[in-house]
Amino acid sequence: MRSPAATLGRWAIHIAIWGLGIAYLVPLVVVVLNSLRSAEEITQTSMIGWPHIWEFSNYIQVWSTYCIAQTCSGIRPYMLNSAAVTIPATLISTLLGAVAGYAISLWRFKGDRWIFGLVTAGVFLPEQMRLIPWTIVLRDLGMTNTIAGLVMIHTIQGLSFTTLFCRNYYMAIPADLMKAAHIDGAGFFRIFWRIVLPLSPPILIVTVIWQFTHIWNEFLYGVTFTTGQQQPVTAALIALSAAVADVPQHGLQSAAVVVAALPPLLVYLFGGRYFVRGLTAGAVK
Amino acid sequence: MAGLRRVPEFLVIWVPLLIASGQIVVFTAWTTWLSFTPSTLMPTDGFVGLRNYTSVLATRNWKIAFDNLLIFGSGFVVLTMLTGLVLAVLIDQRIRGENVLRSIFLYPLAVSFVVTGTVWSWLLNPGMGIQKLVNDLGWSGFRFDWLVDRDMAIWTIVVAGIWQSSGFAMALFLAGLRSVEADLIKAAQIDGAGPWRLYTRVILPTLWPIMIAVLVILLQTAIRTFDLVRALTGGGPGIATQLPSLVVYDFMFQRGQLGRGAAAAVLLLLTLLAVLLPYAIWKRVQARRAANA
Amino acid sequence: MTHLSRRALIAASTAAALAPRLAAAQAKPRLTAISQWSAGSDGAAISALGKKFDEKGGIWQHSPVPGFTTEMMNKLRAQILAGDPPACSQLKGPEIAAWSKIAPTVNLDATVAAAGYEKVVAPDLARLHKPGGKWAALPLQIYRTNTLFVSKRGLDRAKADKLPTTWAEFNTLAEKMKSAGMASPIANGGTRSDDGQKFEACLAGISPAAYRAAIMNLDAKALKGPEVKAAFVQLRKLSDWMDPNVAAQPYASNLAKFVAGDMGMMIQGGWAQGVLLNAGFKIDDFIIAPGPTDNGKPVFILNADAFIFWQRKEADLQAGQKLMAELVMDPAIQTMYSQITGSIPVRTDVDLSGPGWSDGQREAARTLKDSLAANQVVLSLAHNMAQENGMTAAMIDVLTEYVKNRTITPDQAVARLTEAVESSR
Repeated sequence: MRSPAATLGRWAIHIAIWGLGIAYLVPLVVVVLNSLRSAEEITQTSMIGWPHIWEFSNYIQVWSTYCIAQTCSGIRPYMLNSAAVTIPATLISTLLGAVAGYAISLWRFKGDRWIFGLVTAGVFLPEQMRLIPWTIVLRDLGMTNTIAGLVMIHTIQGLSFTTLFCRNYYMAIPADLMKAAHIDGAGFFRIFWRIVLPLSPPILIVTVIWQFTHIWNEFLYGVTFTTGQQQPVTAALIALSAAVADVPQHGLQSAAVVVAALPPLLVYLFGGRYFVRGLTAGAVK
Repeated sequence: MAGLRRVPEFLVIWVPLLIASGQIVVFTAWTTWLSFTPSTLMPTDGFVGLRNYTSVLATRNWKIAFDNLLIFGSGFVVLTMLTGLVLAVLIDQRIRGENVLRSIFLYPLAVSFVVTGTVWSWLLNPGMGIQKLVNDLGWSGFRFDWLVDRDMAIWTIVVAGIWQSSGFAMALFLAGLRSVEADLIKAAQIDGAGPWRLYTRVILPTLWPIMIAVLVILLQTAIRTFDLVRALTGGGPGIATQLPSLVVYDFMFQRGQLGRGAAAAVLLLLTLLAVLLPYAIWKRVQARRAANA
Repeated sequence: MTHLSRRALIAASTAAALAPRLAAAQAKPRLTAISQWSAGSDGAAISALGKKFDEKGGIWQHSPVPGFTTEMMNKLRAQILAGDPPACSQLKGPEIAAWSKIAPTVNLDATVAAAGYEKVVAPDLARLHKPGGKWAALPLQIYRTNTLFVSKRGLDRAKADKLPTTWAEFNTLAEKMKSAGMASPIANGGTRSDDGQKFEACLAGISPAAYRAAIMNLDAKALKGPEVKAAFVQLRKLSDWMDPNVAAQPYASNLAKFVAGDMGMMIQGGWAQGVLLNAGFKIDDFIIAPGPTDNGKPVFILNADAFIFWQRKEADLQAGQKLMAELVMDPAIQTMYSQITGSIPVRTDVDLSGPGWSDGQREAARTLKDSLAANQVVLSLAHNMAQENGMTAAMIDVLTEYVKNRTITPDQAVARLTEAVESSR
């Protein structure tokens, strides 16, 4: 039997946490409601409000018929572009980061601290500063206006995060385990495949989630380094919002925001539990 | 070590690492070079000494942006950690619907900063958001107009930032809390420690390493915050919510003054160095002590 | 452009699909263009232009860069750095001269002369498109930024029937509206350019000559002159009548209150008419008038969109540039374009009496002509027509701070503006 005070306390805790939870949902609710209102209605009333007429057609328009950049195919092709950039960049940077993190944490070589310090310093560099250098790099590699160029940029920049995450996770792998593997005569890759990788799913999921959301939501490079029909969905979102001579298309825009946010949201929803578990195992020390 | 001399390992380890670190070194060096040139719309050769630096430092924009970085940087990092910690501790109490709650607190992370900024610009707008709602409900005297208050506007960015990032802090802290060994807790309970004492004396101290990790990630977010401000306040009211990242972009691309923008970027990196270097040294000293002990 | 997208574009163009094989031998006019017009009526207008281009036997390859102008300029910079500039790109105001120093532009003099275009373009506007005395860019459409919109219900509520023509009358009407119970008689947006636009309307309305000297020519004495101070005094009045809660929202967020008569007046660009109508409001919900002017003659603050033409070696692109230039100068095309976007034609000899034009557009075009005759056409600061972007941004910093901060006095504002100009020269 719990004491009345303890019961009261549990009630208080539940009310507090669910109250916060509801508060955190408010922005989502506002956007979803707007996505079901017409532009006229929003302009004539307010940006926050209950739909008078439910405009489900916003979603159909935004998905397949709205005209962006002279093509009336909605944001669907842009979603595919975003996927074409995000998926390879996420996978490659995660894989390379895992190997690099493994080498730095478990093999220890001369200068590893320096390399690690430099690579992780990359997380602090503002994107704005790197815009022109990347332009020049892309030009010299002949990759201007290509999806491959964007994949390359996100992979290289992403290495800073993935290496940081993985290295810190692998630091927690007991030295004895490594020693035993060495004695058995296992080499670099053998240890990685047989011992390290099976321990890795949590951190790999964390890294994938992190990379996926950041690359998916990136706008500046996407809009500068691709053209017309190759642009990512973030560019299409802006296209919906920035028409000077028009009433702002808030309804459509919100529907587009919801659709464009779905892939990273799903990644979080499904990966979320691993996120917590992954960070449990090693965390970032 | 032996394995590292072999070719395939060399390729998969060193090539990516060298490209990644090389990119960082070269781009930073290039920006530093740019900051000493008279570049305007395009990078150009030439040397103008510290002129770009003096003119950036003389603008009100930079002064306001720098002050804001201190307020936003510390406010965002500290409050997000605190919020994350509170959420984690509450969720750790064997709550009904833990999975749902965890997803709720994590979902903002999946949303882009542009969207976060836009939605919060509606919610925090006194004319259409929370203030209006409360006023319409009858509390006509209620004021929540930080967004249009020059002194408080920077805190609206903190609020939106907390909403966006506290789930991340929560996840890390929750992970930390769950990995505290049961024996440790049991021992403390046998000693008669209440829940408050249990947390402050026994459990939270074990979270230190995680705190540092969260701190680094949040600090990085704070320094690179850009889209959020652009969408939420547009740098306003007036120029009251400028941040260095906005000033860099503004000079470089809006005003067509690449040299000045580069100087602002270098100043931002130097500020960061002033924060991180002591931490790196402290860690070094600690590592050495640990090795000697 | 990659192999893939080029193939897609060509495949998409019906002209290419129908073209006989022989056509490949001779240069078929082709145009690569970038602009920020990707959606809405801007997008519709440029698409219509592209269609005309195709009809004339050209291949239209437009890549819109959505978003803010800055992102489009980043794109242009990236393409110039890559040695692959578009044949033509959207650019406006003094930036035309600045960017034309970076990469070689096409000399359009012959095409412009053949069309007799120079005679029908406002001289100040023509000058902007002729860096170094040679036509390198062509204006496409014009907007007036000092258009006064008055709410019909707001006017009734204030029991007024006369539209203000001077700032004094404007102020009286605003006071009347305020005492009739309007908390904020002025409907405004909270963006930087919105604040800048209010200031330019004040100064140009008080004295177009002072505006020209201080804002367009950056004359040090004029910047400290009494007219500039008077403009700040007027701007303070406006800011006191504006809705402080608008924050960084666009002006469109106040349109409902404006039409309902909770806000009485709005100083905006001509484009606001289309926005009001598209939002489902009626044409008799509001009245359009020229902005206040104190010297009895009309004042037109001009904002124009334009295309700049970048030098290319390819024969098909050169032919495309020529065709595009001819189209842009064509009165029929300008009519088509402005009727879609709600702007007015660049050419002063286009007849706006026919159907397809609104009264607001007719009034603006008439005012443009009259203002030209009175030498009272000036270039908009807030819309990057008066100065290069660096200078504009430095000046708007001062203006937007002044609007949002009531503790800054007009004298301090004058000093700050002068200082901002000096440090950006």
